[in-house]
Amino acid sequence: MKILLIEDEPELRKSIKQYLYQEGYLVESALDFRKASEKVGLYDYDCILVDITLPLGSGLDIIKQIKETHSKAGIIIISAKNSLDDKIVGLDLGADDYLPKPFDLAELNARVKALIRRKNFDGNKSIVVNEITIVPEDRSVKVNDEVVNLTGKEFDLLLFFVSNKNRVVSKNAIAEHLCGDDADQADSHDFIYVHLKNLRKKLAEKGCDDYVQTIYGIGYNFKVSK
Amino acid sequence: MKLINKTIGYYFLICIPLLLLASINSYYFIKGEIEEVSDEILGQDIMHAQSIIQTMDSPKNMKLGFDGLSSIVLTTPHKDAFINSDTSIYNSYEEEFEVYRMAKHFYNNRGQTYLITVLKPTMEHEELMEGLFSSFLVILMFLIIAFLIVNWLLSKTLWKPFYKTLHQLSDYDIKNHSMARFEHSSTKEFEQLNDALTLMTNKIYADYIQQKEFTENASHEMQTPLAVIKANIGLLMQSSNLKEEEMNQIQAIDNTVKKLSSLNKALLLLSKIENKQFTEEALVSIAETTKKVMANYQHLLDSKHISVEMNIETDIKIRCNPILTDILITNLVQNAIRHNQENGSVRIEIRLNSLTITNTGEPLKVATEDLFCRFRKNDASKESLGLGLSIVKSICESYGYNIHYTFTNHRHVFSLNFQ
Repeated sequence: MKILLIEDEPELRKSIKQYLYQEGYLVESALDFRKASEKVGLYDYDCILVDITLPLGSGLDIIKQIKETHSKAGIIIISAKNSLDDKIVGLDLGADDYLPKPFDLAELNARVKALIRRKNFDGNKSIVVNEITIVPEDRSVKVNDEVVNLTGKEFDLLLFFVSNKNRVVSKNAIAEHLCGDDADQADSHDFIYVHLKNLRKKLAEKGCDDYVQTIYGIGYNFKVSK
Repeated sequence: MKLINKTIGYYFLICIPLLLLASINSYYFIKGEIEEVSDEILGQDIMHAQSIIQTMDSPKNMKLGFDGLSSIVLTTPHKDAFINSDTSIYNSYEEEFEVYRMAKHFYNNRGQTYLITVLKPTMEHEELMEGLFSSFLVILMFLIIAFLIVNWLLSKTLWKPFYKTLHQLSDYDIKNHSMARFEHSSTKEFEQLNDALTLMTNKIYADYIQQKEFTENASHEMQTPLAVIKANIGLLMQSSNLKEEEMNQIQAIDNTVKKLSSLNKALLLLSKIENKQFTEEALVSIAETTKKVMANYQHLLDSKHISVEMNIETDIKIRCNPILTDILITNLVQNAIRHNQENGSVRIEIRLNSLTITNTGEPLKVATEDLFCRFRKNDASKESLGLGLSIVKSICESYGYNIHYTFTNHRHVFSLNFQ
């Protein structure tokens, strides 16, 4: 999987690259409009992460260019300008997702994976983790071929864990993923705990191992031995 | 007091002493003139008396004139002399004293001294004064009427641009820089005033815009550094050999970054509401929006064991921006949950034009009037930014809704009136 990261802030570029690289992606980066435009014109990518405010031009024009070449690349806008207008314009131009800064790397990773899955680049409709099989399209989960009935939030939680497997994800990241922006810190942590408890119980009932490790003070790690 | 009336007042104040002075001056002037004329006539009478004396056969006293007041009297020797004076004589017929001009003349003729006394009725001083006073009063009246007319005409014509400018200024609204161009005036001073005002309001407006943009830009600019911190925390978390203490520190940083970014978003939202950047409008059902918001917060309500009572008498449908309405109700609901207690309750009532959200909770520690101010928190609770109710207020102001808070029966009551 090849990803192009168009971002002018070097520190952010470095961190995103590192995180996605560890997920097994090949990440190339462009730091301004000209470089981005050049790379988009020359190579094919599976996913393109594009910042809107760039030196020498606008990320929106890059999206236009990508769409003009009929590229199948999935496009995620990562913008500091959390404006609805940009979001609407971006999505209208053909971007697939919009992630306002600042974001959790776990969230970005989950979005990239979801996008690649939707675009069906790897030909798999389901995600298999040992005895767990998730079909995101139908929002269904099976453990040892037995259907597990999960609530919406529980499903989202499981998928988020699986997308970031063997990674420490913070409670804040989970809260934001499940409740959106206006997640309230203190309250949402209780809320995560409740859903996690239910999820663990439902999975255990079907004979699933407990993969969720609590990382003291920070969050959780969905640990699957490689 | 209007400028015009004030001017008239001053004119009036100056006119009174001036006219008084003028009347005194006129009095003495006219009096002098009258005396001069009387004395001339008296002089002729004396000459006439002299000629009578010259034609006299023998010296004798004599009355002159039909009124018998003037006389020729023989007297002790005296050198020739003229004495003019005023005198008053009792008129028995009119039963009052009358003023006469009197001329006395010692006249020597053929060794005999005669005292010739001639009198002429003259104007009484009081009459003269009265006449003068009344005529000056009439002048004063005419002057005032003239002032009034002139001033009225001036204010209609000459001062018109000034009043127009004044009117425009009082209607000025900085939010939309509503000032139309000031009307052109042929008066130099007013033109200068208009120029100065145009310059000033433009400067104020520019500063206002700059200040508004500052919040927005500052918030935007802060998002990228925050993203860098957040991404690095995300990477740092993955380290396998973190100690408990370090994990706590990472958690603290992560929480703070999250709070900072929420703060940023809230400030951005506030400036966007104030800049009227939410222009799209649709017909929004308050009942539907409230139900949706409540559903979003079900998890929180459950975890705090808060019971909900919803009473919808009549749904309210208003034309407004759906996103803002959502934020408005979300903030009120969030507030009702956050400042609630375990096993508490939230009651929502939707009635004709009003939405009332009440919740159980501790009484306020801050003053009620500070409740909607920015960063005014009831307690330094960590999860609260202190901006939620400011956002509520801001949205209400932009749509002309009325938001009201009371604490009754141990419940916080927020009533929102949509009209």
